[in-house]
Amino acid sequence: MGKERVAVVGIGQTKHEATRGDVSVAGLLREAAGRALADAEMTWSDVDAVVIGKAPDFFEGVMMPELFLADALGCTGKPMFRVHTAGSVGGSTAIVASQLISAGIHERVLTVAFEKQSESEAMWALSLPIPFTPPLHAGAGGYFAPHVRSYIRRSKAPDHIGMLVALKDRQNGLKNPYAHLHEPDITFDSIKESMMLWDPIRYAETCPSSDGACALVLGSEKVADEAAAQGRQPAWIQGTAMRSEPTLSAERDTVLPLGGALCAADVYKQAGITNPRKDVDAVEMYVPFSWFEPMWLENLGFAEPGEGWKMTEAGATALDGDLPVNMSGGVLCTNPIGASGMLRFGEAAMQVRGTAGDHQVDSVRKAVGHAYGGGSQFFAMWVVGKDKP
Amino acid sequence: MTDQTEAGEILSAPLIIEYPFKRTTGPIIGAFLTGLREQVLVGSKAEDGRVIVPPAEFDPVSGNDLTELVEVGPEGVIATWAWVTAPHAKHPLDDPFAWVLVTLDGADTPMLGALKADGIDAVSTGARVKPVWAEEREGHIDDIAHWVLVDDADEGDRA
Repeated sequence: MGKERVAVVGIGQTKHEATRGDVSVAGLLREAAGRALADAEMTWSDVDAVVIGKAPDFFEGVMMPELFLADALGCTGKPMFRVHTAGSVGGSTAIVASQLISAGIHERVLTVAFEKQSESEAMWALSLPIPFTPPLHAGAGGYFAPHVRSYIRRSKAPDHIGMLVALKDRQNGLKNPYAHLHEPDITFDSIKESMMLWDPIRYAETCPSSDGACALVLGSEKVADEAAAQGRQPAWIQGTAMRSEPTLSAERDTVLPLGGALCAADVYKQAGITNPRKDVDAVEMYVPFSWFEPMWLENLGFAEPGEGWKMTEAGATALDGDLPVNMSGGVLCTNPIGASGMLRFGEAAMQVRGTAGDHQVDSVRKAVGHAYGGGSQFFAMWVVGKDKP
Repeated sequence: MTDQTEAGEILSAPLIIEYPFKRTTGPIIGAFLTGLREQVLVGSKAEDGRVIVPPAEFDPVSGNDLTELVEVGPEGVIATWAWVTAPHAKHPLDDPFAWVLVTLDGADTPMLGALKADGIDAVSTGARVKPVWAEEREGHIDDIAHWVLVDDADEGDRA
């Protein structure tokens, strides 16, 4: 974090769907960005700089999409930056945008993250045959399933935990009008009976492929104070952190990645959080496969190693629990990959601002947004609060 | 350290990726492409009143959405041009031709096209041109087979 205070003063997202055939890539971004600007009571011309992020270019087959999106995002005559850290990119993009203000360079920065998964097949884009490397997996689920099996073996968690997470997140998603999946008839049994894709990950415990975008308007202390004076609560950024580690390294613990733990410790220190379970009121974490809820609860310090599943089982992470997790329905309901991290960061900010609608948790003072990407190797987190840091 | 002379023995392998993508055009570019299929040319009206062809989805100055479509052309004038003396296989025309920027009637910005003409001396900035449509059109820029000078229209009318 730099010296200047930064806050989220505008949040926008698209209606997420399997195929947004009604809009171009540029139109998709503009739907989210236009809503964020309207929320911030700004226009395109008020923005000093734009920071965009998306997951691998191969997902849409547009190399360097920032080139053709510059005019769509009102960047004519302004600085524009593109960030890429695989699935965590939505989070790291928001952090890079915040740094342009905390460093004292800009006052108002628009940041946008997106994916239009319908324009390609992300699962196979993630499964390229690399010469001299044995083909080990098909899609992200094939890569992460062994990590989940390892977690279950180490923690002795019962099999139904993953299904409980899926049921909770899909039910939370029903309260979120922007969520891709709305499955009012989902039950524990329907999840249990869904097809096993990558043992132990069932179809109903897996994220969808979505088209969607998320945008945030970040403002300096002056900008945020003006918003507050007009009755629009800013979400003050109390800490940001990113960590990386190599994909393939024999000594790496993929169940409890060191990068994730260090990222959490750093961001908590900045935000003055000493007891995460007690000090944090709500968490949006990146859970593309149900079992990652208990795994990340442990990695982010909300539970001791091996104990995270007990929080899920006890209902602590439900919307009415003592630590609500993925109030929006999370990645399990909506996964426009490049935008997914920013949707987590944006939901944390919405909870703090009190604008989360039917999935609002009462009196949230501090919320955590979390994203991870690559082979559990990129981590991005922020803590936002009602109070100035 | 590897000796430079051994570098040729280091293994390498090709990585060829073939992969399906598609593009969603949206309501503005989509309208332009659909128009081509129907032999209609449209532009979008910018906030300062200029008509942009092919249409832009958003105002180039303010960044706001542009939603008003305006029919333009089909004739226009050559804004500038470059003669291609020796076309190669991927060029749109086999005989020598001109790349032209055409400002369509009713438009304020020029668009690119290939002009079929009898020779370099037949082409001039300010000359009037019109499109020659492809017989089978599918909503693609190639639906305009090429452009011809209006005076030459009789002999250049067929794709």
